[in-house]
Amino acid sequence: MKYILIVGCGKSGKGLGLELSKTENVVVVDRSLRSLDSLGDDFNGKKIWADAMDTNTLEQAGVKEADVVFLLTGNDNLNLVVSKVVKRKYGVKKVVLQVNDIAKEKIFKEEGLNIINRTNLIVEVLNKCIS
Amino acid sequence: MYIVIAGAGRLGLVLAKKLKEDDHSVCLIDKNESLCNRLAGELKGIMIIAGDATYPQVLSQAKIEKAAVCVSAASSDEDNIIICHLAKELFGVKRTVARVNDPKHIPLYKYMEIDNPVDSTSIIARIVEEEASFTDVMSLLSIKKGRLSIVRVDIPEDAPVANKSLKDISLPPNSVLVSVIRGPDIIIPYGSTEILPGDEIIAATLIDVEKDLIKALIGKNIGAAKDNH
Repeated sequence: MKYILIVGCGKSGKGLGLELSKTENVVVVDRSLRSLDSLGDDFNGKKIWADAMDTNTLEQAGVKEADVVFLLTGNDNLNLVVSKVVKRKYGVKKVVLQVNDIAKEKIFKEEGLNIINRTNLIVEVLNKCIS
Repeated sequence: MYIVIAGAGRLGLVLAKKLKEDDHSVCLIDKNESLCNRLAGELKGIMIIAGDATYPQVLSQAKIEKAAVCVSAASSDEDNIIICHLAKELFGVKRTVARVNDPKHIPLYKYMEIDNPVDSTSIIARIVEEEASFTDVMSLLSIKKGRLSIVRVDIPEDAPVANKSLKDISLPPNSVLVSVIRGPDIIIPYGSTEILPGDEIIAATLIDVEKDLIKALIGKNIGAAKDNH
């Protein structure tokens, strides 16, 4: 079982958390209690109601043991800052983050982080639809 | 000196005006377009840019590569960190200063190599504590990574130094009394200066003899109230 940390329980965080908690060890962190509650009874993992910009929260969530960290808040800047700290300070091997702005994606790309951009993803899928 | 300030809230605005008065050239960036329009009319000689400073094209518009200092004074810590990071990594700005909104985020500022994170909350808390005088010993300032400390000590009635001249008081080595505050007067002490109960003493001391100094002054063993560092 992999240890997976998800920061941000919006639509993607929630969906991923629910899916992965069936087979893996999942921790979801969010600043909003309502978002965490939205995971419902089907969620089989740990929920932490706290600020991910606080390193104590990350440590409490077991970032050091995490195999993968997903940063899926709607805030690009928060995702970028936390991803770098998670990679640099805690040495997490696999860090995946959502960045909505393409310009920022380009700048931070070189850092060895897996950056996901919604627009690019959709364009890719749509492109496949015509072939 | 050319200084770019991101965030035209109260702090950014006061700082921009102050720096302008000191003859620096200043550029102020803020997301709020209507605020920027108003400021452009009010502030003479300060360049105003409406835009989100976490975007490189906005920083580039501010010619940040020519800035000696980038100050990020936004109310969001993640924005401040990204702005300073971009200024440094992408535009080669030598010195970055940022406002810290939540002291819990300080480690992030450090890992992201912001030169000077300014933690306003802790600074204000310390000033309020100082004003309220919860303790009769207060650490005012620490310099050189805390090795040299400036402390303020209130002299009680029963202090061993009360009613004695400075020349008759033995202080630990590597410590010195800088000034005596008596009511409205500030006295720079000499050998003949007498210490009276109720005086406030400002002293400079190396951190390892701070306790000895306080003991010599007030006769009790208490550490100075420490700030966050």
